[in-house]
Amino acid sequence: MDVLFKSAAVLISIFLLLFCNAIPSVAYSSSSTMHTNNWAVLVCTSRFWFNYRHMANTLSLYRTVKRLGIPDERIILMLADDMACNARNKYPAQVFNNENHRLNLYGDNVEVDYRGYEVTVENFMRVLTGRHETAVPRSKRLLSDEGSHILLYMTGHGGDEFLKFQDSEELQSHDLADAVKQMKEKRRFKELLIMVDTCQAATLFSQLQSPGVLAIGSSMKGENSYSHHLDSDVGVSVVDRFTFYTLAYFERLNMYDNASLSSLFNSYNPNLLMSTAYYRTDLYGRQLEEVPVTNFFGSVMETIHTDSPYRAFSGKYSKIEIPLDQSDEVKQRRLKSSDVPQELTGSNITGKHVTCPVTRTWNAILGRIGMMKELDSLVNYGLILMFLIATGSSWFSS
Amino acid sequence: MAEELNEEFTEGLLLRPLPDRRVLAHFHFQSSVPPTRTYGRHHHLFPKSIYQLINKFRVREMELSFTQGRWNYEHWGGYDPISSSNAKPPGVELWADFDVSLDQVDASWKNLTHALSGLFCASINFLEHSTSYSAPQWSFRSFAGKLRYGTLPREAVCTENLTPWLKLLPCRDKAGLSALMDRPSIYRGYYHSQRLHLTSDEFDTAKSNSGIMLEQTLTVVLQPNTLGDRAMVSGKTLQPSWSLSSLFGRKVHGKCSVSKSSNVYVQFEPNLVSELKEVWESVESESGILIHDAFWNNPIFEISASPDRVVKEVGNLQKEVSSILYEFLVEDYNDSKPFDLGLRWKLPVVWSCKQAPLHASRFLMGSGNERGAIAISLRSSSNNNTQRVGCSEKGSQLRIDIFQVVPWYVKVYYHTLKVFIDGELQSTMENIEKMHLSPSEDKVSPGVMEMKLRLPCSVKTAVLTLEFDKGFLHIDEYPPDANQGFDIPSAVVSFTGFQASIGFEDNFLNKLPILNELQERKHVISYTEVLLVPLTTPDFSMPYNVITITCTVFALYFGSLLNALRRRVGEEERLLKSKAAKKRGPLSSMLSKLSAKLKGSPLEPSPTPSTSPSFINYKLIVKVILVAGMAAGGQYYFR
Repeated sequence: MDVLFKSAAVLISIFLLLFCNAIPSVAYSSSSTMHTNNWAVLVCTSRFWFNYRHMANTLSLYRTVKRLGIPDERIILMLADDMACNARNKYPAQVFNNENHRLNLYGDNVEVDYRGYEVTVENFMRVLTGRHETAVPRSKRLLSDEGSHILLYMTGHGGDEFLKFQDSEELQSHDLADAVKQMKEKRRFKELLIMVDTCQAATLFSQLQSPGVLAIGSSMKGENSYSHHLDSDVGVSVVDRFTFYTLAYFERLNMYDNASLSSLFNSYNPNLLMSTAYYRTDLYGRQLEEVPVTNFFGSVMETIHTDSPYRAFSGKYSKIEIPLDQSDEVKQRRLKSSDVPQELTGSNITGKHVTCPVTRTWNAILGRIGMMKELDSLVNYGLILMFLIATGSSWFSS
Repeated sequence: MAEELNEEFTEGLLLRPLPDRRVLAHFHFQSSVPPTRTYGRHHHLFPKSIYQLINKFRVREMELSFTQGRWNYEHWGGYDPISSSNAKPPGVELWADFDVSLDQVDASWKNLTHALSGLFCASINFLEHSTSYSAPQWSFRSFAGKLRYGTLPREAVCTENLTPWLKLLPCRDKAGLSALMDRPSIYRGYYHSQRLHLTSDEFDTAKSNSGIMLEQTLTVVLQPNTLGDRAMVSGKTLQPSWSLSSLFGRKVHGKCSVSKSSNVYVQFEPNLVSELKEVWESVESESGILIHDAFWNNPIFEISASPDRVVKEVGNLQKEVSSILYEFLVEDYNDSKPFDLGLRWKLPVVWSCKQAPLHASRFLMGSGNERGAIAISLRSSSNNNTQRVGCSEKGSQLRIDIFQVVPWYVKVYYHTLKVFIDGELQSTMENIEKMHLSPSEDKVSPGVMEMKLRLPCSVKTAVLTLEFDKGFLHIDEYPPDANQGFDIPSAVVSFTGFQASIGFEDNFLNKLPILNELQERKHVISYTEVLLVPLTTPDFSMPYNVITITCTVFALYFGSLLNALRRRVGEEERLLKSKAAKKRGPLSSMLSKLSAKLKGSPLEPSPTPSTSPSFINYKLIVKVILVAGMAAGGQYYFR
C-alpha cells in the first residue's frame, strides 16, 4: 500500500511542478546572499487630527528602529499629516504616545521623507519598487539590495484586503503582493517583514506569494484593531493597542539583545490586544526561534576581525578565515547570528531553503525515489494500479 | 587681501520688544566662500550640499522660506528691514534665478525643487508642476526671464524642516547662538519664519567674483512668560519682562568657535526711543540727558548685562529720534558664566511700530460656488505722519507694485479690473502705469498679474477688484481634504518709493552681516493674506454609486430579457417531474448500480437511453492506453 501511495504522489507532483517552477531559482539565489544591511519603511496613512495615534504609532516605531541601530538615511518615513506643529496640538513640536508624556517622539532629529499630500499609494509603490523619476533625491528612495532586510510598517484605517490612504485612496492586498513580488524579482530584499496595524490587517497579506516574506498583522479578518488609551491633555487617543504592546516589548531590549522573533510574536496577548495578532510564516524559510528581532528592527552587523589590512572579498563566496586566538569569539557570534551558519553551509543543503511548500514536498519525494532500488518494479506496480482504477471507474460509470 | 580669501561664518541675534507685549528674536547666520576659481572645491565651513546645489543647477540667487503664522504688520511693524525681508507668506516660498540658457530654466527649476525637497524634508517637489510656479517679469525682482517663483501656502513647517537647516551651520545647534533653538519654544511662538538666501557669482566670468554667500535667518515672535497677573503701575500695564532663558528655556554658553563674530543686539525702535525720552523727562523732570549714556539701567527699564557698545542710527535726516542698538559680545561668556540677557521694565511704556505707507490686505467677495471676486485693499495707516514722508512734495505720487499669482482653477477675468480710490470708481488707465498679465491656461500654467500702480499721496483707501469664475477639477486632481478649500497664494505688494534701512554711524560695522542686513536699502514689501476659495467638490463616492446602480439595472434588464427569450415553461415542468421521480443521492444510485451489476440483472428504472456496449469498450481501451503511456513516460523520465 505504501508503494502505491508513493507512485500516486509522483503523478500528482508532476502537475504541481508546473505551477511552482519558477520560484526555486529565485529562492536559491537570495538565500545564499549575506545579510548586509537593514532598511525600514514606516508609513502612516491617515490624515486629520483625530488620527493622531497613527502618527504616534509610526513615530514610535521610527524611534525604536533608530534606537536599535538603523540610521536615518535608511529609514523612509511617510507621515500623511502634520501633527507635531498642528494648531490643535497643545504641545508644539512634540508628539507623545503615552499620557505620562515622558517621551517626546518628535525629537530634534526627525527626518520625514514623504509628508502630507505626498503620502499616496503611487508614491508608496514607487518607494517599494524603486521606480522613481530621475530627479527624486536619494533620501526619498529605498536603495536596498539583495542583502537587505526590510521592515515595512504600515498603520491607518483598513478593511477586508485594503488599507486606506488619506481617506481618498486604497492600497489593496493585490497591490501589496505585486509590489513585493516585483521587489523580489528586482532583488531589492533578502528578507521582508511586513507589520500592519489596522482593522482586519490579516487580510492584507492574503495575496502575498514571494519567498522571504514574513507578515504580522494586528487583527484577523472580521476583527477591529483598537486604540490603547486616550490622553485627555492632547484630547485624542495617542496609541493603538498592537503598537503599544509591540513597543512595550521593544523597550526592554537594546541593540545587543538576542531575543527572537518568536518571542515577539508570543508576547501578543489577544485579551490585551482585543484582537488576534496574525502571523504569516509560510513564505519565510527560517525558524522564527533562531531569528533575532534585530534582524529587522535593528541593524546589527557582523564585525569581522582580520589581522591583515583590508582585503576586498565578495559577500557571496567568501571564506572567512578565522585566526586561532579569535576562534572562541567567532563561535559565540555564530550562535548569536543565524546568518553565518547558513552562509557557510548554504550550498550543500539547498533543498532545505526552498520556501514554496509544493516544491519542498516534491523535493522530498524525489529524494525518497532516489533511495529506492527497484525503480522498475515500482513503475510496474503503478501501471497495474492505474489499470485497475481505470477499468473499475469505467465499469461503474457505464 | 589674504583675509578675503577665506571662508567666513558669522552669527548674530537681534532682539526687539514689540508693542503688543511680545518679543521678536531674529537669528542671522552667514557663511561665505570665495569663488572656486581661486579657492578650490574643498571647504571647511561652507556646507557641501549647498555648494553642490549651486554648481549642479547653476543658481545665481535663491531664496527659500518656511513660515508658519502671519506677520502682524500693524503691531510688529511694516517699515523696517526685518519686516520687509523676513515677513514671509505662510508655508513655503521659493524663488530662484538661474544662470542657464532660457530653455533650460524650467528643467533646472524642477530638479532644484526635488533636491530641496530631499534636503529640507518638505514637499517642495510639488512646485515642479508648471501649474504651481510662475516667471514674474519685473515686479517681483529685477531679473528678467530666468527667475522662477513658487509658493506652497499649506505646507506644514515643523522640526523636520528646521533640523536640516541647522545642519548647514558649522556648529549646528550644539554651540553658539543656535543652541538657543529649543524646538518647543520656537514652535510655540506666534510667528516663525526660517529663511535661506543664497547669492553666487560663480558663473560670472566678467567681474571680480565674491564667491557664494549663504544667509540663514530665523525670525520668531514669542510671548514672554508672564507669571501671575500683569503688573500694573499707575493704571497702565507694564510690558512683560523677559530673558533669554525665559524665552527659549536655554542660555548661551559661549560662541560657536569657528564664527568670526557672535553678537547679540537689543534694538529699540525710533518710536519707542522717543516714548522713552518722554517718560524719562516726566519722571526725572530734567532735560538734556544724553539718552545713550548709561541707558541700560534707568528708571524705566533695566538690561541685565552691560552692553559692550551702543550703536546709534544715523542718516535718518527727517527725524530727530532714531533707533538704538545695544551690542553684547557672546565671546566673553562661557560655560561657567553663561550669557542670559534679560530686559526688565519698571515703568509702563506704550508705543507703536512704524507702519508701511499703506496697509495691504486682500479678501474674497461674492457667494456661491460659481463665481466670486478678489479684492486687494490698500488702506492708509491710522498714524499718517510716517507715511507722508515718502511723498513730501505736492503732486508726487505713491508708486506701488503688485504681484499676484492665481491658480488656474480660479479663472480670473482681468478685463473686470476696477480701481476704487477713496470709494470712487476710477478709470484704470489713469492709475495703472504698467501692467503685465499672463492669463492662466487650464492645467498648464497659473495666472500671473504684475501691476505698477500710481496713487495720489492723499489717498485714504484704494481697492482693486477682479472677478473670477471657479473652475472644475478632474476627480484625480482633488486633494484628499478638498472640502477644506483651495488656497490662492499671497500677493506681494512693494512700495517702490520707500526704502527700509537703518544706517549706522560707524563704517566698520559694515563688516557685521547682521547689521549689514539692516542697512541694506530695500523696498518696503508686504505680503497679503492667503485666500481660501471653496470650490465645488464632488461626492467622491459617486462613481461607486453610479457603477453599482448601473450594474443592477443592467443585470435586471438582461436577466429578464434572457428569461423571456430562452425559457420554455413546458420543458422545465417535464424535467422537474422526472427529477422528482428519481430523487435519490448519487451514492445510493451508484450502490444500486453496483448491486445490479453484481446480480447480473439490468437496472430496472433506466430513464436515460443507455449507450451501446461497444462504445463503452472503445472508451475503456482509450483510457487504458493513456495510463500506460503516462507510466511509460514516467519511467523514461526517471531513468
